[in-house]
Amino acid sequence: MRRSRSYVLGAALLAFGLVLGACGSGGDDEGAAGGGGGEEKGQVTVGDDSFAESQIVAEMYAQVLEDAGYEVDRKSTKSREVRLPAMESGEIDVAPEYLASLISVLDPKAGRVSDAGEAVGMLNDDLLTDQGLQVLEPSEAIDTNIFAVTQETAEKYTTLSDLAEDAGDLTLGAPAECPERPYCIPGLKEVYGIEFGKFEPLEYGAATVESLKQGAIDVALLFSTDGTVEREGFVVLEDDKGLQAADNITPLVNEEVLDGEVEELLNAVSAALTTDTMTELNARVNVDLEDPADVAAEFLEENGLL
Amino acid sequence: MSGLEQLVAWITDPVNWSGESGVPVRVLEHLRISAISVLAATAVALPLGLYIGHSRRGETLAVSVANLGRAIPSFAILALAFPLSLRLGLGLSDWPAIAALFLLGIPPILTNSYVGVKGVDADTLEAARGMGMSEREVLRSIEVPLAAPLIVAGLRISAVQVVATATLAALVAGGGLGRFIVDGFKQGDDGMTLAGAILVALLAILTEVALGLVERATAPRHSRRGVFTTRTRLTSRFT
Repeated sequence: MRRSRSYVLGAALLAFGLVLGACGSGGDDEGAAGGGGGEEKGQVTVGDDSFAESQIVAEMYAQVLEDAGYEVDRKSTKSREVRLPAMESGEIDVAPEYLASLISVLDPKAGRVSDAGEAVGMLNDDLLTDQGLQVLEPSEAIDTNIFAVTQETAEKYTTLSDLAEDAGDLTLGAPAECPERPYCIPGLKEVYGIEFGKFEPLEYGAATVESLKQGAIDVALLFSTDGTVEREGFVVLEDDKGLQAADNITPLVNEEVLDGEVEELLNAVSAALTTDTMTELNARVNVDLEDPADVAAEFLEENGLL
Repeated sequence: MSGLEQLVAWITDPVNWSGESGVPVRVLEHLRISAISVLAATAVALPLGLYIGHSRRGETLAVSVANLGRAIPSFAILALAFPLSLRLGLGLSDWPAIAALFLLGIPPILTNSYVGVKGVDADTLEAARGMGMSEREVLRSIEVPLAAPLIVAGLRISAVQVVATATLAALVAGGGLGRFIVDGFKQGDDGMTLAGAILVALLAILTEVALGLVERATAPRHSRRGVFTTRTRLTSRFT
């Protein structure tokens, strides 16, 4: 939800990105041919979208590639709308992506995608073929919407299915775009038959947390990896019918730099990532203000990837 | 679709003109929030302004309060009032916005009523007291009528500011026309955002015109009782 928020801004950035992309494509060929420096291996540019999770995972990709002898450049973009054109033109070669969000940007009519395998198929067999891009193995780490309640409410309901019957008496608090998003109100209705009695449009963050704590709302939409649930002692209602987006964190790679070794290195990072670790690493950057590069390096060392 | 086309599409869609989140309901919510805020601000600022203007006591305080009120962003008040209203058990409501708008509404009313009363001609006051009027009578029969155009101008400025700023309520799950602006932005519906902005502007202009007429009606007329011939000169100094 956070990453697909403003289409208006997105369109403007997209236009800007296309210009950037067009300008950059000439220079890239030289880079690929002349790259390599002291090593035989090529040069790879890793991109991120300027928020903690994206920066941490991008650093992981960059560091395993560097460790294997690639010459790595890092580039931050403000959003996917800028980064995707830059990846098509080869200005950025590797970046962390979210499968379902990527699909919804490439094909807004695609509808809900809640299975990672299906998502990879849709992307690699269809949506990404013209761009010369590919996604690799999805990680288990999913950054997606979750529906949280207080401990007290959790005594009555543990899954979203449990909630369906009483939903008419309950209030949902979520960002104002929720009534329009397939993984929010329309999805809840379609998959679970949940129709909340009331919807309160709330800014993500303190407004939502405080409202849930004080009982002004009964159910809050939160994100799975930002640590809010753990910090506030809320309970996540289990998505027992698989509504939520397959937003598994997955490497997106330009085919020009993709070879067996790159694939193996990046897939090893995916294999080590889980939602819990991602939540913990995000908290270290967002709350403890640690450097994403340090956090990434420590994680890679612990998992024997460096 | 361009923004203008989206705007036309939104405005001509009958769905947007009915029901709980239709334009009429939102306009009423907006007016309700604004009216409560301005009335509350008036209830506090008007007596205070009249008292300070009449007694000339606490003038520095009045000026400081007015300036401070202008300097504090309404958004900050909203952010502070929001958790407070939750803790007070008011739930998600328009009260945090009303608190912010109440404070926003005070300075123009306070300043104008204070300056208006203070500016009443000293000779006129002396004449009134010479006729045996009590202080209360002086305030009610001389100072307030003479200061009326300025006082109403203060109300007008306050009300226009409040109506234009009442969109804040939507940021904390409140109602009003700000709902269209916030929801339109979040849902990527430029038509909705534009329609909301235009409706707020229209409402602010209508407020300005309506209270402008009241203001004119309170302006002194020479045909009224001939005693206060200094009225015109007095009031024109401040309007």
